[in-house]
Amino acid sequence: MRYYLRKLAFYAAALWGALTLNFFIPRMMPGNPVDILLAKLQQRGANVGPSARRAYELLLGGNTDESLIHQYFAYLGNMLHGDFGVSVSHYPTPVATVITASLPWTVALVGIATLLAVLVGTGLGMVAGWRRGTWLDALVPATTVLAAVPYFWLALILVAVFATKLGWFPLLGGYDVALSPGWNGAFLSSALRYGVLPALTIVISSAGGWLLGMRNMMVSTLAEDHVLTARAKGLTDRRIMVWYAARNAVLPSVAGFAISLGFIVAGSIVTEQVFSYPGIGSQLLEAVQNDDYALMQGIFLVITVAVLGANLLVDLLYALVDPRVKTTG
Amino acid sequence: MTNLNADLAAPRPRSGRRVLPRWSPKLAIGVGIIVVIGLWGLAGPVLVGDPDAIRDIGLTAPSGSHLLGTTQTGQDVLAQLAYATRGSLSIGVLVGIMATLLSALFGIVGSYVGGLVDEAFSLLSNLMLVIPGLPLVIVISAFVPASARGSWTIAVVLAITGWAGSARVLRAQTLSLRNRDYIQAARVAGEKRWRVIGVELLPNLLPLLASQFVFTVIGAILSETGLSFLGLGAANSATLGTMLNYAQNGFALQRGAWWWFVPPGLIIALFGCGLALVNFSIDEIINPRLRDIPRRERGNRRREPRPAERLDDGAVLDDGAVLDNGAVLTVRHLSVTYRTENPVHAVRDVSLVLRRGEILGLVGESGCGKTTLAYAINRLHRPPAEVTSGSITLHDRDGDDLDVLAFDRDELRAFRWDRLSMVFQGAMNALNPVLTIRAQLDDVLTTHRPAMSRGERHERCAEALRLVGVDPRRLKAYPHELSGGMRQRVMIAMALLLEPQVVLLDEPTTALDVVVQRGILRELLRLRTALGFAVLFITHDLPLMLEVSDRIAVMRDGRIVEEATAEQIAAEPRHPYTRHLLDSFPSLLGERGAFIRAGEDERGEAARPPAAAPDGGIAAEEVR
Repeated sequence: MRYYLRKLAFYAAALWGALTLNFFIPRMMPGNPVDILLAKLQQRGANVGPSARRAYELLLGGNTDESLIHQYFAYLGNMLHGDFGVSVSHYPTPVATVITASLPWTVALVGIATLLAVLVGTGLGMVAGWRRGTWLDALVPATTVLAAVPYFWLALILVAVFATKLGWFPLLGGYDVALSPGWNGAFLSSALRYGVLPALTIVISSAGGWLLGMRNMMVSTLAEDHVLTARAKGLTDRRIMVWYAARNAVLPSVAGFAISLGFIVAGSIVTEQVFSYPGIGSQLLEAVQNDDYALMQGIFLVITVAVLGANLLVDLLYALVDPRVKTTG
Repeated sequence: MTNLNADLAAPRPRSGRRVLPRWSPKLAIGVGIIVVIGLWGLAGPVLVGDPDAIRDIGLTAPSGSHLLGTTQTGQDVLAQLAYATRGSLSIGVLVGIMATLLSALFGIVGSYVGGLVDEAFSLLSNLMLVIPGLPLVIVISAFVPASARGSWTIAVVLAITGWAGSARVLRAQTLSLRNRDYIQAARVAGEKRWRVIGVELLPNLLPLLASQFVFTVIGAILSETGLSFLGLGAANSATLGTMLNYAQNGFALQRGAWWWFVPPGLIIALFGCGLALVNFSIDEIINPRLRDIPRRERGNRRREPRPAERLDDGAVLDDGAVLDNGAVLTVRHLSVTYRTENPVHAVRDVSLVLRRGEILGLVGESGCGKTTLAYAINRLHRPPAEVTSGSITLHDRDGDDLDVLAFDRDELRAFRWDRLSMVFQGAMNALNPVLTIRAQLDDVLTTHRPAMSRGERHERCAEALRLVGVDPRRLKAYPHELSGGMRQRVMIAMALLLEPQVVLLDEPTTALDVVVQRGILRELLRLRTALGFAVLFITHDLPLMLEVSDRIAVMRDGRIVEEATAEQIAAEPRHPYTRHLLDSFPSLLGERGAFIRAGEDERGEAARPPAAAPDGGIAAEEVR
């Protein structure tokens, strides 16, 4: 129980930290984003009243007479209500709506790709570590090339080969625009087809890291006494590999999930850009290009919350896979 | 961690702590790639022409005059590549240095100082770690006006968002180093804090720092490339990312201009690969287990039993002991060698007979080869250890003689634990920490007795625990929830689960305190009488063996130097080494509390242990 409480408290602190960063970054930077924003809105013929101005000032700072503390709490209040303001590039759509539309794409893409990468990476790493010194293990250093490839460059190559040259998969987009989004077979299979290359990009570039980590931990774990016991017990190789070696070797990978997820999220933002994927990463960049600060900050917060949520989930799972944490940590 | 393997480990030439990685093909390739790309970044811009010169020959494929072709506006791709490589490398190294300094500050200093500072630093780095870096960098860059976005700004932002992972790794390592003896000694000796950190701590952290530096450099180059590709990089800078950005915006992909977008990515990938390969070698310094590439165990090699090794009735062994039909295990002329550069003959020509139901003590000082012998009997030795000659025969209950060294993989598996089980030295580590006691008992049965039903298995496991005085409710427990003595009892229960004919005990109680030791030994003796298995008891504790065993074999330098009944050993030790061993234990009763008195011919009575300590069996053990 203590473990869970500690974890919850930590992620609550992390969330607060992200919100606070979000509050201070625009205020610490040179320039006046509110003016830029309002000028843009006026260009589009929007009638900006004082209430809209105040909302933006709360989000981004500006030359108000309000004290920083007061702004800060008003800002926190807005965030907790999910009130991220109005998007400039999608005027007059609220930021929250823009995010809601694009978030599922990214969650599905990154979620499935990460899951596949973890499974493929740890699976191969397990076997490579177990069969240490064989041809399979000798291939491990080669995977570092994949890990060092920039995501988007790999995406470009995949597009060049599989979309432009071979024409197996569509060049860009998230689904066939002739179809209307919905839970029907035609749309889902189209979304799947469009998702293959982006997902493949993420899987190929991130599986290597999992593989290497798992392989090295396998090698360490195989020298442990309980593996020797398992051999003396006459268990099958398969059982020793999975339940005595891999089951222990995977723990550091799980514990280090946060680091890996950071890389994946970063990579997928850029990957979405290459594929013009209708996810939150493309949306973020569009916001950046249009100086749509409100949308940008909203997206940053949502990504942060999603990442924190995923990490919390993994931490809770960790308590299930490692019985020791609940008593010691 | 593995005291159990201490006896097994082949002696390695002692060297000081390694700071330089060992030369290997991996390292050579890695260093080669880094040097080539580094030189290209340094010297390339001098060799190539002006990267910005515009020609009216847009987007031409590689040719003699433009080795990597030209861009849309006729700029030479090779020239751009040289400048971009320089740009990317310098920003990568810059960020690497800054982030490593930050992580050293937060990771090493924090954990060394300890207390509240450490708590705060650690919380900070954990927070920075879970907040996604690139989105943060993008947001920060977006707020900085493009005109103010110089290389330094980008580098600082990348360093601030990239140090946390390393700090966490460094902290963990510092915490473990901090408690090592030599650091403690330096602290006690009153050395100044900065001196302890700088002179004692840092050199040991160096490999890890180097490895983290390598990671941050790769990470920084990748992040910068991503940022520049998105058009958020430093203004007026030329990096591989900006090159790719121009390629993307110039529709290089759509127009099939592979020479424009392939080389920049390839350079990053190769450079990252080079750094990762170097990192492999650094990792091997940090974690020596990764270093030795073992030769594969040839588990399915089958050797035909040689007729000469077959034991017929009444064979006479070296020491004159006559083998009667009651033998359960016969080892003949067994030799085990570690095939290292200087081969170590750990077991030399050992012959032993273990009779049904008896306790044979195998006594010797550490390093004498007794554990190697035990492992070889179960064929648990791994390369470079190898059985070079001899035979091991198990005389099965139903009359068959099993040649252990001739088993193939499956036969060996079926033999282990069913005929011969083992209790290891380190009860702490011999159990799998993430499986329940029940799962670890149960898998023995599912493997060796597939016909048993779930209920039968459960009953059998519970019964085995009861046998060793552990409450069957403990089946649900994980190893860390049990005390050391309790764990060793569980190991014994596990060893007896299949009612084996031979149980090898490898210093089973060494790690336990005396009272618990006594209780467990008593229990073992009782079970031996009840179940009738034979015991090969390996220990350095001769007095203990005099007390519990029927016969004793004394081992030294891989050879059995004396074998006799416990009484004979106690009364008339024949070999000088046996006498030496007997004398090296202080007597609690006799006034001659003798330590090593070489040369004196003393009889063993004085070294007899006191009468068994008052029973401190199970009652003394408490569950943690």
